[in-house]
Amino acid sequence: MSEVLAKDTILSYIGSEIESKASSVSIRAINERGREAVEKTAFPTKKDEDWRFINLKSITKNSFVSVNDAGVKDAGDISGHYLPEALNTRLVFVNGVYNETLSSVDGLPKGVIVGNLSEYADHETVKEYLGTITNYEDDVFAPFNDAVFSDGTFIYVPEETTVEAPIHILNVFTDAEKPFFATPRLLFVGEMYSKATIIEEHIGLSNNAYLNVPVTEFKLFSGAHVHHARIQRDSKTASHVSRPIAMLDGHAEYHSYTICLGAKLFRNDPRVIQNAEEVDFTVDGLVLIDGEQIADTHSIMDHRFAHGRSHQLHKCVINDEAHSIFNGKIFVAKDAQKIDSFQENRNLLLSDDGKVNTKPQLEIFADDVLCSHGATIGQLSDEEVFYLHSRGLTEQKSRELLVYAFALESVESMEVESVEKLLLDEVIKYTTRD
Amino acid sequence: MLEIKNLHAKVEGEDIEILKGVNLKVNAGEIHAIMGPNGSGKSTLSKVVSGHPEYEVTDGEILFEGEDITEMDADERAHLGLFLAFQYPVEVPGITNKTLLREAYNTIARANDREELDPLEFEDYLVSKLDVIEMKDEFLNRSINTGFSGGEKKKNEIFQMAVLDPKLSFLDETDSGLDIDALKIVSDGVNKIANDEKAIVLITHYQRLLNYIKPDFVHVMMNGKIIKSGDIALAEELEANGYDQLQKELMLNGEAQ
Ligand SMILES: Nc1ncnc2c1ncn2[C@@H]1O[C@H](COP(=O)(O)OP(=O)(O)OP(=O)(O)O)[C@@H](O)[C@H]1O
Ligand SMILES: [Mg+2]
Repeated sequence: MSEVLAKDTILSYIGSEIESKASSVSIRAINERGREAVEKTAFPTKKDEDWRFINLKSITKNSFVSVNDAGVKDAGDISGHYLPEALNTRLVFVNGVYNETLSSVDGLPKGVIVGNLSEYADHETVKEYLGTITNYEDDVFAPFNDAVFSDGTFIYVPEETTVEAPIHILNVFTDAEKPFFATPRLLFVGEMYSKATIIEEHIGLSNNAYLNVPVTEFKLFSGAHVHHARIQRDSKTASHVSRPIAMLDGHAEYHSYTICLGAKLFRNDPRVIQNAEEVDFTVDGLVLIDGEQIADTHSIMDHRFAHGRSHQLHKCVINDEAHSIFNGKIFVAKDAQKIDSFQENRNLLLSDDGKVNTKPQLEIFADDVLCSHGATIGQLSDEEVFYLHSRGLTEQKSRELLVYAFALESVESMEVESVEKLLLDEVIKYTTRD
Repeated sequence: MLEIKNLHAKVEGEDIEILKGVNLKVNAGEIHAIMGPNGSGKSTLSKVVSGHPEYEVTDGEILFEGEDITEMDADERAHLGLFLAFQYPVEVPGITNKTLLREAYNTIARANDREELDPLEFEDYLVSKLDVIEMKDEFLNRSINTGFSGGEKKKNEIFQMAVLDPKLSFLDETDSGLDIDALKIVSDGVNKIANDEKAIVLITHYQRLLNYIKPDFVHVMMNGKIIKSGDIALAEELEANGYDQLQKELMLNGEAQ
């Protein structure tokens, strides 16, 4: 392998020293490993197959500094973002830094842990799993998170325990004098037959550019059930590159829903790995973008054992000059028979200048499987618009209603009422702007 | 109520003329039937009258209660009291009948300075209209026409008509796709809605419908024009002899080319 020069790595867009700030030995070791990988891995260019369509300018034209060097402003009162269902099951991170005052975890069942990773760094489970589920391959972003994170979320749900209240992980990003980077981190470990709902939110409080590189790792033991909603409402000038990964044991269920509303550049590489027979998982997405936003999802549904059911509905609405990219891979290993996997990418283009690239992919090595995939790119149907219009609705209102209907299905999977409400408001805001 | 004068219309952006000089006058309290072979322009006429942007009026005019509506947007025509029951009602997944109807009802009410109904009042109003067409209330919460059978779609059009209470309705082949029981129910519904202040234009291929909804006038449309008008006897004649015979007669009389 040829030597990678520093100027070709992510470090050339980072204006601060990359140094481990973690106090614990185990996190420092991960930081060290990440740093080594970062220094050895070239930052992606359009020549890389997985980065062909995406314009990375909002990262490469910037120099991001650490939060300490960025002159960050106060978060102010963020209580408007609290979820009524999660008033005592909430962790708050401001620019990636844990904020104890704004967090509250008094409402947890016995044995359940929801806390700051750096405080739990020496917990057996953290030592065993943190950083082990993520995959580097040629990636620069997961190692970047590894290299610099110290705070983060640790969620542990013991055997046969159900956390009724949704666990709200609220990441807010404040205004700042300089563009900064943040590396939110989450480790979830659900023991056998545990059950939990995680609402992971990213909110830009101001309109500044920052680089948000979250890594989330989910380890589900047999029979564990997790509902994971990820709501990305970053600032419209921010860049967000996430690496969510889940590893499922037998009879586990993991249902994830990613909603993309914010960020100038959003790149999301969700990956779910079936680690034993009989699992059930969802990797749904809803993307609502306009202006010059870019949203790129590269997902992997990795079936390594027999008897799995998986489902991916990725819906995108694109207005103005926005650009949506989807590349979804379904892997089925040689002996993974009886996999039932469904994947669909539906794009609704509202403007002439919007762009869509979509590529659903199947790589199947087993012979007894039921896998389907498809992609559509369409505009609003003139006949549908006229139908509503002829009933007395203005043409504008008819269009709004149809876009709303397109998005609705994804919103209705949220399970948490206040989150559904919040997303419906976002959808209305998107359809009725200007 | 409705006066169509020498109406010419073509497909927007193309050189396909479909309506070639239609004249039609409909007064309040009247029921008209338009018959005619496939492709003669019946649906196009109803869409042009309701303001479909796919067609461009190249000559003539449409007057509604004396007002020229030829260039008006479809929603404004609906506010004035025009309604089209589509020949092929589209499926609109994700929007329920109730949502559409409440939005439509209140928009029309606003435009006419009438009181809007709040969700509870509207629910009651909606349920009261279900009887008109013997519709089950589960249809209210289903997405518009989505997964409906052909007959259910047609019934749903008449239900919408009952709810929106228009002055003038075009019913484009509402009878096709209905079995005989449904045909009776739908006809009954239309007869309940019809009164002295309203007018209805039925487009149909079958005289059978006209046994249940009695038209005051019957028109025959061919090749983009109304070539003959008469009363119910004309429909009976058509049923017996077909359009060819009629065309031949007219040609002999020098009335059509
Ligand atoms: N958008 C369009 N583009 C091209 N041709 C059209 C368009 N709309 C209608 N036509 C043509 O105009 C003619 C009249 O169509 P229309 O649907 O009005 O007939 P119709 O009398 O309702 O027929 P049917 O009894 O089969 O319903 C047909 O030849 C049809 O193909
Ligand atoms: Mg027709």
